[in-house]
Amino acid sequence: MASTPIAVQQPWSQGRTLRSSFTRWMSYAFSTLAIAFVLALLSLYVWQGFAVWRHEGLGFLFENNWFYRQQHFGALSMVYGTIIVSGFALLLAAPIGIGAGIFSSEFLPLRLRLAVKIIIELLAGIPSVVYGLLGILFLRDWVYGALSPWEPLSGDSLLTAGILLAVMILPTVMTLADDALRGVSSAQRLAARGLGLTQTESIISVCLPQAWRGIVAAILLALGRALGEAIAVFLVVGRQDNQWPANVFSLRPLIESGQTITSKLASSETNIAYGDPLHWAAMISLGLVLLALTAVVTVIANRLVQRASRHDA
Amino acid sequence: MMRNFKHRVFQLATAVCAAVACGILAMIALAIVRRGWPAVSWQFYTEQIRLVGAAGGIFYNLIGTFILIATALIVSAPLAVGIALVHGVYLRGSRHQEKVTFLLYLLNGIPSILFGLFGLIVFVKFFGLGKSWLTGGILLGMLVLPTVTVALCERMTTLPAAYLEAAAGLGLRQSQIVWSVVLPQSLSGLITGSLLGLARAAGETAPIMFTATIFAGATFPHGIKESPVLSLPYHIFILAQDSFDPSVGAKLWGSALTLLALVLFLSLLALPWRLRIHEEARHD
Repeated sequence: MASTPIAVQQPWSQGRTLRSSFTRWMSYAFSTLAIAFVLALLSLYVWQGFAVWRHEGLGFLFENNWFYRQQHFGALSMVYGTIIVSGFALLLAAPIGIGAGIFSSEFLPLRLRLAVKIIIELLAGIPSVVYGLLGILFLRDWVYGALSPWEPLSGDSLLTAGILLAVMILPTVMTLADDALRGVSSAQRLAARGLGLTQTESIISVCLPQAWRGIVAAILLALGRALGEAIAVFLVVGRQDNQWPANVFSLRPLIESGQTITSKLASSETNIAYGDPLHWAAMISLGLVLLALTAVVTVIANRLVQRASRHDA
Repeated sequence: MMRNFKHRVFQLATAVCAAVACGILAMIALAIVRRGWPAVSWQFYTEQIRLVGAAGGIFYNLIGTFILIATALIVSAPLAVGIALVHGVYLRGSRHQEKVTFLLYLLNGIPSILFGLFGLIVFVKFFGLGKSWLTGGILLGMLVLPTVTVALCERMTTLPAAYLEAAAGLGLRQSQIVWSVVLPQSLSGLITGSLLGLARAAGETAPIMFTATIFAGATFPHGIKESPVLSLPYHIFILAQDSFDPSVGAKLWGSALTLLALVLFLSLLALPWRLRIHEEARHD
């Protein structure tokens, strides 16, 4: 094993340990199994989706014509839907979540803070299908009523999905932002207060600059969840194919039905598609696009977290 | 004066944010409890579905969900122990340690619907299992693997070095140290992680909808091939899509309350251990 010399440096791994033991062998075997699973998953999405890239080229990403009966697969409207819905959710959830995180980490006494944190983390575990149910039965009607001056066709819209996602990722943003701020040592806070700064000034000029990596990572992890959320979005987004705004900056499409990558993948079209190689490749490639989006977000968040923890040490 | 005023405004603004966040979430919990409670009864948990969800209970849905999460636990626990040992013992102090963390992050970042499609291709079609509880259990197990492993790793890294040195001083081999010191001492991490993992697995719909679960017509699994189960989240997912019949509505909210209670119960069980980790992690 390549790592044997490292094990020797440990005081408790001297002696007969160099002989590879069954425990060690099993541990590496299980780890390899997990790596194999991830690799198999990644390569499957590349391999099974290959046909559609050959058929459509980059038009798969940049054309807006998804008509599977005519064998046209342009997924632009779904990529647009995914980005708009998650972006909107982030726009709503990030300020509120960070504000709430600042409040719980800086202004609440320790015991109360722990209580709030426990409740928030419990609520972060509410299953997405329950959020979806609430979206269908309350939020949809509420959005429809609130938007009636603009005459939406229904309450199922990208906007509804965005609001629902915002509620879903709010606990994540809040609790991770709180963690990041608690990571700033209290000596720094005291020093800032000692210099005559108000508590707010010390938060803004000492705590936030030191915790920014953790806070950005919190936002990114929440974004990752929003991008990949299928069930709740599926129930309220309307699932209308090929919706594309006449003007990219117009807000009108927000209040109309749309489609995201995940809502397409969770639909019954997945079952239909399996029989047709090209259609199946198109569905799988949608998954690949989603995988790429979430992987980028995850990798950046991971880098930020690891750098932040190195700063602590 | 002005600075003090600014401080008050800032404090108020963040307090409003916190109140909005807690308020929304409290409203959600209240809405579900208030609407779901009337449907809950002994019959609701002991009868099977009748009339497409409008009558009867959710007995087999509960059984199915328990089968799925138990399988997920059996799949994820050994893998988690293996990975945590590689991370915390065999690669301790090595620069490869970060790679293990990265792998867990990556796995955690994969959207759950993509687990579902992966399972559909590999297990349902390629291995020819059809819709099977086993596929669902494996997928859910892999989905919650990062949750379980990270909790276990956290516990392992906080093990006092003196324990390990004492064990080494007694002349124990590394594998003996692992079995007699490291694993028993970090058992609480495995329990916490598993409970949190079970809570997450119980609520997931996307990975099992194409691979393991159907809406009606299944009881106890009779084998492995072509042996789907009913499940709570999928039940809610299907009923939510045509929830206009009021009698379905009552059952629907009852199911949602049950699922929520199950998930929160599992996370609450994990709480004492998590709090201890929280407290130990704070040195200020």
